[in-house]
Amino acid sequence: MIPKHILGTFDEALTSLRNDLLMMTGLTERSLDRAVKGFLQRDDDLCTHAIADDEEIDQLEKQIDKDGFEILLRFQPMAGDLRQVVSAIKLSPNIERVGDQATNIAKRARKLNQHPPLPEVQWIVPMQQHATLMFKDSIHAYVREDLELANSVCGRDEELDEMNRKVNKKLTERMIEDRDQLRGYFNLILIARAFERIGDYAQNISEEAVYATAAEDIRHQGRTAAV
Amino acid sequence: MPTSDRIAEEGVAHQAEVSSNSETVPASTFQVKNMSIWYGEKRAIQDVTMDIATNSVTAIIGPSGCGKSTFLRALNRMHELTPRTRMEGTVLLNGEDLYSSTVDPTVVRRRVGMVFQKSNPFPTMTIGENVVIGLRLNGVHDQKFLNERLEKSLRMAALWDEVKDDLNKPGTSLSGGQQQRLCIARTLAVEPDVVLMDEPCSALDPIATAKIEELISELKTKYTIVTVTHNMQQAGRISDFTAFFYLGRLVEFGVTTSIFTNPKERQTEDYITGRFG
Repeated sequence: MIPKHILGTFDEALTSLRNDLLMMTGLTERSLDRAVKGFLQRDDDLCTHAIADDEEIDQLEKQIDKDGFEILLRFQPMAGDLRQVVSAIKLSPNIERVGDQATNIAKRARKLNQHPPLPEVQWIVPMQQHATLMFKDSIHAYVREDLELANSVCGRDEELDEMNRKVNKKLTERMIEDRDQLRGYFNLILIARAFERIGDYAQNISEEAVYATAAEDIRHQGRTAAV
Repeated sequence: MPTSDRIAEEGVAHQAEVSSNSETVPASTFQVKNMSIWYGEKRAIQDVTMDIATNSVTAIIGPSGCGKSTFLRALNRMHELTPRTRMEGTVLLNGEDLYSSTVDPTVVRRRVGMVFQKSNPFPTMTIGENVVIGLRLNGVHDQKFLNERLEKSLRMAALWDEVKDDLNKPGTSLSGGQQQRLCIARTLAVEPDVVLMDEPCSALDPIATAKIEELISELKTKYTIVTVTHNMQQAGRISDFTAFFYLGRLVEFGVTTSIFTNPKERQTEDYITGRFG
């Protein structure tokens, strides 16, 4: 357990920053969950809620930036404290972009819902499950300072990229075969791409989790963080 | 190998040494082995082993009473001026034992200069006299040589442009920051191998502090510098290596960026993050 800081105001500021980050991740998970259900269950209301969540996520991103810079300015944190603040500032844009992708999925889903269901939606389900789990695991890795989990998330992104390539190819073929559903397949391609992006952001979050926990920079290299 | 890489590599070796207390690293100005110092019955330094790399800035940090000033003073035998002081271990300066019975402490202090917390120009002397007094005391009286050394030292201390027209004014007529740079010029005038600094900026305003810090960064190209500071941000800005002392022991020693972003020891982390005691 980390001992209390001599300055109670510093501990309060750090706790507040962490709470804002946790609230942001919670809201983003909820938004993604609503977007996924809205897409798979063809529920426009859930899609609308997912889109509405985004504004609050955006505000929290700005709040975390502001609070993080204020801590850097006022307290000049060191060592583990410095890493916590820097990683919070770097995590929040990645989480915000996951929120943006949830919005994109929800918007595309609402368009799809205006037409008869496409059986090809099922091709995307494995991608959705993979990406959603990556995101959740990346957040857990950060919150629990779990290096093993963080490394495992980073290792899963290539698989997601491959799934996206395959889905993309199959949907492109369907577009040629069935030109009446051109717009629907196009929306499915964009939804698949949104899940692929979520995987990228989950990887970024996991890399930050490794930095915050172990002060190791594993970006742009093989997964080498010591567990 | 570039100097920065070499220094970083040596720093890793230094850091490894703290835990192993094993071999020393060449290209070090100081090689301190198993140093212990007592003031009477009180043991102020306990079995410290560390090397101080040449042409680098090493910062000594730690809470009050941890022994950092004692350690610094032992590097030029100034601690011996305190009564009932006893020292064990060895301190090699460029391979030479500073504590050998054949070594004159005054010669040591000429080779290892010291700048103190409070600037201390000689009050009865002019700015010029303050700078060259060390040379005069060492028997140098050639005025041309003294004038050249005066200008060179003041330039190195980044003070020449500010005082070149006032060399005959009292040293005490300068501002606090200028007085401190005057003391640095006085230290440099005898061309030491090492400059020790004991909280050199603690009595200065931020502007004067910045000038001294800038000066330290420039001086390390010619000198090995060891500085004691309570200001962690300053240690982070100016030093290449940082040593954390606690209760007379060297807890951790390594490359400054590593110490301040990812210290290996819990005590170091607690101290630099403000969670100490």
